[in-house]
This record gives sequence, structure tokens and C-alpha cells, in this order.
Amino acid sequence: MVHQSHFTNNMSIYIQSVSQISVQKPLTEEWFDNPILPKEAFAQSIEPDYKQFIPPAESRRMGRLIKRAITTSLSALKKGGCEMPDAIISGTGLGCIENTEKFLNAVIDNDEECLPPTAFMQSTHNTISSQIAIRLHCHGYNSTYSNQGTSFDSALLDAFIQLQLGQIRSALVGGHDEMTPDYFNMLSKINYWRKEDVNVDMMRQCDKEINSFSGSCSLSMLVGTDHTENTLCRLADIELFHSPMPSQIRDSLFKMLHANKLTLSDVDAVVASYSGNPNVDRYVGHYLTQAMSEFPVIWYKHLFGESFCSSAFGIYVAAMCLHKRLIPKLLLYNPKDAEIKNPKNILVFNYFGWNPSQPNVSLSLLSI
Amino acid sequence: MDGIVVTGMGVISALGRGVEQTASMLLQEKSGVDKMRILKSKYTSLPVGEVHETTEELLDSLHYRRDKVITRTTLLGQVALLEATQMAKLQKGLLEGKRVAFISATTVGGMEKSEQLYHDFLYGTEHSEYIALHDCGACTNMIAEITEQDIHYSMLTTISTACSSAANAFLLAANLLRTGRADIVVAGGTECLSKFHLDGFNSLMILDDEVCKPFDKNRKGINLGEAAAYLVLESPQTAQERGVAPLCRYAGGGNRCDAYHQTASSPNGEGAYQSMIQALEEAGLQPSDIDYINAHGTGTANNDETEGFAVMRVFGDRVPPISSTKAFTGHSTSAAGALEAVISILALTRNFIPVSLNFKEKIDSLNFTPVTQTIRNAKLRHVMTNSFGFGGNDTSCIFSKL
Repeated sequence: MVHQSHFTNNMSIYIQSVSQISVQKPLTEEWFDNPILPKEAFAQSIEPDYKQFIPPAESRRMGRLIKRAITTSLSALKKGGCEMPDAIISGTGLGCIENTEKFLNAVIDNDEECLPPTAFMQSTHNTISSQIAIRLHCHGYNSTYSNQGTSFDSALLDAFIQLQLGQIRSALVGGHDEMTPDYFNMLSKINYWRKEDVNVDMMRQCDKEINSFSGSCSLSMLVGTDHTENTLCRLADIELFHSPMPSQIRDSLFKMLHANKLTLSDVDAVVASYSGNPNVDRYVGHYLTQAMSEFPVIWYKHLFGESFCSSAFGIYVAAMCLHKRLIPKLLLYNPKDAEIKNPKNILVFNYFGWNPSQPNVSLSLLSI
Repeated sequence: MDGIVVTGMGVISALGRGVEQTASMLLQEKSGVDKMRILKSKYTSLPVGEVHETTEELLDSLHYRRDKVITRTTLLGQVALLEATQMAKLQKGLLEGKRVAFISATTVGGMEKSEQLYHDFLYGTEHSEYIALHDCGACTNMIAEITEQDIHYSMLTTISTACSSAANAFLLAANLLRTGRADIVVAGGTECLSKFHLDGFNSLMILDDEVCKPFDKNRKGINLGEAAAYLVLESPQTAQERGVAPLCRYAGGGNRCDAYHQTASSPNGEGAYQSMIQALEEAGLQPSDIDYINAHGTGTANNDETEGFAVMRVFGDRVPPISSTKAFTGHSTSAAGALEAVISILALTRNFIPVSLNFKEKIDSLNFTPVTQTIRNAKLRHVMTNSFGFGGNDTSCIFSKL
């Protein structure tokens, strides 16, 4: 296919800071050296000390996901030295599902009577971005993407394009999803999670019926056009695809590299969305083999788990490896690979396909 | 010609199926808001803007088996998507080398099915195939399947910003085109009625038990509705290459956040004001260039007054003809931005201004009244359509004659 040439300008876009709440130690990068390896399928996130960010009286009235999203947002802004972003864009696969379930159960159990309005008000997906905006008094661009496993990728793409076009100079991009016991059980019925406690080595063996673990995810990332002393790395490009042929990913990879004056040999590794679920990982593996077989593979879902927004952690892990100038052994999918020092360019490949004939896929390039 | 043009649109709402039917109902001043017939809620006295086709009728019309695993939100989306893509001639053979993106908006997604089957999801063994259809993104992915014989979407995503969702799909579409990331974008939204949604709005006590009266002093609230609508957007060059006649131009959009309260607008409508200003700036237009505003105008006490204030701040004492078409269609939430874009484009291209039904008495604090009689032979060059959502997600779009 002949494509119109990719829009190019000289604008560089940087990842300034990231803050996360997950099964790893919250609001830190401690996982990089001392990771926690969850064994159970329904892994719980570690809650930070919220009162550093939100007054306790307010905090008590907030849903868990909102509390996390505001906290990671404020923390990322602080780390990035930014008081007011030009845009707030979130990705969330399920939105505020805890409140959604609360209201839904009331509708069903109370036969549509005596319903809790607050649960409904806080159930919509855009509650996250709007509560962040209310907290910051931010009147800038505000949006929310809810597209399963490419929700965060969509939010990041939106920010990237607006930065490229000069419509904004900074954006707070988030990936926020919580897992509830009921939703966990529902997804178990469609064979989404592990059935027994496993370890990382077992997860790597895709021929076994070992599924991913559920990790709630709250990650905020400040991106912008200013290079500062805090800057983690450059986000060179991000592209989304719908049921692409592996050759399209390959073509796009070459175009990305060319636009950034790089070649295949400049790429140190590819971050892949392997989760330990063989039903999904075989497709991830297919794309990697066909389109990016020359690169060592990094994975992250063994540390952060699976959720609709876990792809945010793929970008995060790549950014941290570039920032810390190291790809540690623990992040390498192939146990035979040795750690990689001074990585300069890392690809991030994310695959999501509940319907494997119609997957959504993203490819990003991050550089020092 | 620079910029972005609209080459196709598709719609299904309480006014019926298709753009011709929609135009006809608007011109006849016939509302589609009526007694609840399809939704199985106990609040049957609440009027709703229901699509007057049962889910079975929708399935039949798309030649599906009656037991197909699919949600009503998805079916509505497929009906509208087919019309839009056919009008724009997005057909196999005419898309060689073109990247077509699909952006759809929804908030409740598969909730209408989930609320019926929820106990099975949790405790039973049946219907678990619907679990994977619950979320917003699942709807978009399945809607896209209806055109798979003709179109391979190069990317696809879902926006969920409550009642402004579909309007935000146009903003992203424009940026994808501007950066050459897509050659053609199909963008819009879909939402079906559910008990969850109806009861939610009802719990906030903002539903009217009569047909709604936007911008009337004695307005009482919303009639909830359902709809799906999509626009096809592309560059004039792409349209010309493909031999497709554009309908109008997409001139610009603005997205601003009120940042005030989760469900109420700020007293002076700050977010609404800023989104209209930004849309004008992006379109390179002055307030005086706008010939018609299709207001968000939900009929709630809070929205209509604060939207009115924001309109007065932008347009001063020269507020152009303004109407809310919510009394025709009900408030179709995530689809409303696309439904009202279709209505605005119909007005623009067929030279009429739809009436704001049920208006009787001016709101004391506003300096304008909405259009009370259909204006025919209106000379419209630029029309603005507002979509404001919960959480202060405020978006305005402007469409212009070619």
C-alpha cells in the first residue's frame, strides 16, 4: 500500500515524569531494583500514603480509582516540575467500575428504587479526567479513551499529535483501571486469569495453561515539548493499528526509524505485552517473530499484571530503562539474555485482541 | 481547498433511521420523544427518545440471526455506520492506498445487556459470552465488523467523555487527518437506553416527566434518548480523488474543561464559553460569522441557564438563531454530539433552522429566546454545535458551507 508521507516536524516530545500505583511499591521506582513478584491471580495494589496529596476528609468521600488517579497525577506533576498541564487525557478500560457495580447492583436488587446518586455520578469513565481537572482547576483539553487494551495508547497518541501540532505544550496522560472481585470473577469465566499460583519461569512457558494475573493500574505520565533536567526520555513516535498484518508493523517500524534517522541496529530492545496467558501470547509472539525478530524482548506484565491499562507500564518500563541506562535481566523475557547497558532506543509493542481476528495494536519508539 | 470536508453521514435516533427521515421529521416539527415502549424500566411514565425499532427488528434489518451475541448499542452503531460509509462511497476498490480510521464514542457500552444478564455473569453459567461485550471498546470493535467487506480500518479507538463524547471524536479525527495519520476518518458515537442510565439520571432528579422544554423558564429536565450517528471526514483532495462530493466543511472544534463540579456547570459557564471561543479560533471565524447554534440545551435548570450565559459571553447582544433539538430526539448522551452534528449539517446544507420545541417563556436571566418556528430558506454559512458533558467536558464544533 502506498501511504501518504508521515507528518513530520522538528518538534521533540519528551516523557518528563511518571508516577504509578500498582502491585509494586507506589510512587517509586523501587521495582527496578527490588521488584515484588505477585504469585496470586488477584493481586492487590499497594496503597500509598494518600494524605500527602489529598486531605483525609476529601479522600474518604472519593472512590478508590479517583483517589489513585489524583495521587499519581499530582505526584507526576511534582516530579516533572509542572504546575498546570495544558491537557489532561486518560485511558481507562472500565472507568470507575466499583461505582458502576454499586449502582448496577442497586438497580437490580432494589428494583430501580432508592438508588445512590453519588455512585452514578462517579461511575462514568470521564470522572477520572474531570476530577483531576477540578483538583488542578485546569480548563485545558480534557478527554478520556476507553478502548480495552489500547485505552492508554489512544490517550498517549492524542497527546502526541496535539504536541506535534503545537496545540499544547504539555499533557498529563493517565492509564487508570481498578479490578473488583466481581469483575475478576466475570473475567475468570472467559479464562482470563491464572488458576493457580505460579512463578515467573512458569509464566514464560507459553505452551502451559498459565494465565496472567490481574493488576490494578494507575499511572500518570507528564509529556511535553520542553527538555528539562527531569526529562526521562524522548517519545519519538507512537502509532495505533487495527488488525494489522505483521508486514504493516514492519513497514511502520522502518518509517519510524527513518523519520528519526535510525536503523534497525540502533534499536536495543522491544518491550512486548506478553502476559503469561498463552491464548494471547501466541499472537504477541507471532507479531514479534514476523516483524521484530532481531531484538531482545522486554516484558513487564510479570511485575505489573494485566489490566486494560497495563500497556501504560510498557511505555513506563521503556522510559525507565532509558533513564537508568540499563535493561536489567529481570525485565528480559528470554532467560538466556544478559542485561543490556546504555540502551538508546527501545520499541514498545502492545497487542490486545479478545477477538484475535480484530486485534488492536500499538507500536511506540522511545529514545534517550 | 484546504481543510477537512464531510463526505458522508449516517444516523438512527428517535426521529427514525437515516438522514432523509431525520430531516423530514425536523421540518415537520415532529418529535420522536414518546412513551417508553422498548426499555423495560418500571418508570414507564418517563418519556424517552427511543429508537422505535426493537432489538429483534434491528437484528432482522441487518440480516443477523435472532440469537446473535451483540448489544443494542452496537446494532445502532452498525446501522448508522453503514449509512455513513455508503454515502461517502467507502467501498472496496475505491479505497486503494487509503488509511481509514474509526473513532466511536460511548459511555454505557453493553450495559443494556449486562443489566439483564448480570446475575448470570456473576453466579450462573449461561450468557458469559456477553461479558466480553460489556465495555466501551468492545462496542466499537464490533460495530466496525459490519463494514469489514469494504473497509479495513487502519486504527480504531473509543472516546468516553459522557455527553460530549461524539463531538470529541471529531476533534481527534481532524488531528489524525492534519498529521496524515489517516486519509479518511469515520467518527461519531452510539448509545442505547438502559435502566442503568435512565435510573442514574433519575436519581439525580434531572428527568422531565413530560416532553422536555429546553430554554423555557419552566423547564424541568431531560428526556433520555438513544441514537447512533457517524460522519465521514477527509481532505478535499482525498474526496476529489475518490470522486465523492463533499457535503460541507468541518471548520474547527474546541475542547475545554469547566473544572467545576462532577455534574453541575459553573455559574458563568466557563468551560462552555472557552470551548466555543476555541472552536471559533480554530475555524478562524468571528462570533458574528455563526449563523446558527445547535445548543446542548438539555432542558435542565442548570445546563440551559449556564449555556445561555456562556453564549451571551461569546456573542454579546447578537446571539445568532439558537435552538436545542433535544425535544425532538431526547438526550442521547454519548451519541448526542454526532446526532446533533448531523442535524446541524442538515440545517446548513438544506438551508433551514430547526425549531426549539416546547419553548414558551424566556429565561429571565438570558437575553435571547430560542427559535420557535422552523426557519426555512435560511442562509447559513457557518453553524456551531455544542456538546457539554458531566465532569465539565465541554466541546464545540463548527461546520461550514463548502
